[in-house]
Amino acid sequence: MIRFILPCALGLSALSPAHAEKLPIFDAHIHYSHDAVLSVPPTEIVEILRKAGVRKALVSSSDDRGTQLLLEAAPDIIVPALRPYSRRGQTGTWMHDPATIDYLEDKFSKFEYEAIGEFHAYGDDIKTDVIQAMIGMAKDRNLILHHHGDREALDLIFDTWPEARVLWAHSGFEDPDDISDALNTYPTLWADLAYRSEMASYGTLYEGWKALFLAHPDRFMVGTDTFAPERWHYVGPHADFSRSWFEDLPDDVARKIAYENAETMLAAK
Amino acid sequence: MRLLLLLKQAVLLAGASTATQADILLSDAEIAQTLQHGPWPQVAQTDPSNRFSGNPNAIALGQTLFHETSLSLSGDLSCATCHQPEQDFTDGRARGLGKALLKRNTQSLWNMDQFRWFGWSGDTDSLWAQSITPLFHSDEMAHSPQSLHGLMLGHATREQIETLTGPLDTVSPEENAANLGKIIAAYVETQRSGQTSFDRFRDALAVDDLATAANYPKDAQRGLQLFLGEGRCSFCHSGPNFSNSEFHDAGVPYFLAEGGVDEGRHAGILALQSSPFTLNSAYSDDPEKTGAWAVRNVRFNHANFGMFRVPSLRRVMHTAPYMHDGSLPDIAAVLDHYNTIDMERLHSDGEAILRPLNMSQDQLDDLAAFLATLSDDG
Repeated sequence: MIRFILPCALGLSALSPAHAEKLPIFDAHIHYSHDAVLSVPPTEIVEILRKAGVRKALVSSSDDRGTQLLLEAAPDIIVPALRPYSRRGQTGTWMHDPATIDYLEDKFSKFEYEAIGEFHAYGDDIKTDVIQAMIGMAKDRNLILHHHGDREALDLIFDTWPEARVLWAHSGFEDPDDISDALNTYPTLWADLAYRSEMASYGTLYEGWKALFLAHPDRFMVGTDTFAPERWHYVGPHADFSRSWFEDLPDDVARKIAYENAETMLAAK
Repeated sequence: MRLLLLLKQAVLLAGASTATQADILLSDAEIAQTLQHGPWPQVAQTDPSNRFSGNPNAIALGQTLFHETSLSLSGDLSCATCHQPEQDFTDGRARGLGKALLKRNTQSLWNMDQFRWFGWSGDTDSLWAQSITPLFHSDEMAHSPQSLHGLMLGHATREQIETLTGPLDTVSPEENAANLGKIIAAYVETQRSGQTSFDRFRDALAVDDLATAANYPKDAQRGLQLFLGEGRCSFCHSGPNFSNSEFHDAGVPYFLAEGGVDEGRHAGILALQSSPFTLNSAYSDDPEKTGAWAVRNVRFNHANFGMFRVPSLRRVMHTAPYMHDGSLPDIAAVLDHYNTIDMERLHSDGEAILRPLNMSQDQLDDLAAFLATLSDDG
């Protein structure tokens, strides 16, 4: 953190080549849910994103209305994803509710999406009829699956649909070795780093994480995870935090994690 | 005849003992947990980073300065304006009022020597550094180091201060500020709450004095059981001071009515990192830099955004309103908050111990009865 504070405080920003241009960000894990819609208007959201240097954002929202509002306000930034439930409180139950299927079909009949998610599912949850049907819908439409869950669930997703493009939310909250194993196992798996800050301290990457990023430079992306409405005000600080540890990577790898990998994932249809 | 009398007394004593044990509702495991919340009061220790800590002259002068409105640039605010001693060092307001409405609730100043971090966001790591903060806050005392130094050179207390610090005109404005903070802290750290009925209960349990322990009300015992068990309150409200002195997301909104948000611990760490007044700084009087490991090792974490320090529960019934923004007017509202906590505000991989308590009104009343026994030290 201090590495990105001090240069500003000391007026040194123009002296460092890495700071010469503010690296744009593809924020691959962001929500604009029903409560955020009530608290932060779309115009303010768009202003926050632009000010933070976020050029694209994969947005999913509990009840989806927020995603559509943002898409209307900033179609150049917003990449819409469909969350399969309308309230965050359903994260542990939605896969047992047959109404989920109707909900998804209704949304697909009205709007276009690039992904389904972020959805929470662990272990055998993937075998439920609801999730199997949901994966089928994603397959029919060639959509990315933005999955929040464990390795067992991840394996079952790829068992169900081996060619799936999966974005593993929070990199499964796994450690670098286990993330690496998953990435080696599945060539169409990408991993977001939302809500994870343990990879770096004051702009310096820890050894294991740096090795991971260098071994898999094409597979990671960052995300703010605005799980509470107030956290929209964290989009800027989060982008700056990411830029601080990007400086500890070769420029091309930093650029990939900042935005290129997400764009590649979207294009890999 | 005499033997019969002794036998009768033995039977009576045995009966009394059984009745007393029945009056203690706690299991052995709960008693062991209860013992962790004491003894109280803790043995007072001087602060090695503050050379005036424990100095009677500094304590007396600190009390004077604490009430000194001339320490504010406008001349009408003192520490005691918000931290009113007759109101348990609070002001009864939801959010403090300095020269403008402040962002946070005015916290009590009891037992400050029990904390590692200070203020709701932990923007300081010592009581003396925390005592400096309002002197320079633009909405509070509004001084700069230079204006404060200039003020003290002509201040009525200059001679008393110099008795402690040496000549004022030979110190830098920053060192002058550090000295003032330390003198005020020397007074504030002497504000320690007394022994409560909970502490007497706890101490009696510690020596198996069940007769004394049985005086502790049943509703408070049931509340304590909920506090330790089903409520999981003691995870954060731990130890003798009923605070782990760390930062958590309690599911309280942190939007500011005037726009933006209160960033909580996120802002606290930023302030800490840029502060010249930490335990790791040259202004600490402790050559061993005791406790400086914390500021040296504090790491930034995305979860910090919107987290606030766990308050102590000692004298809690006297320090309403509650939470970082004073948004909950009384204890009943606080208990209701945790009873019906909005899980949608919390990250699914964040505060793992929080979930709606779903307690009955009787249970909530018992919890309140227990909390009251942390506040009855007079």
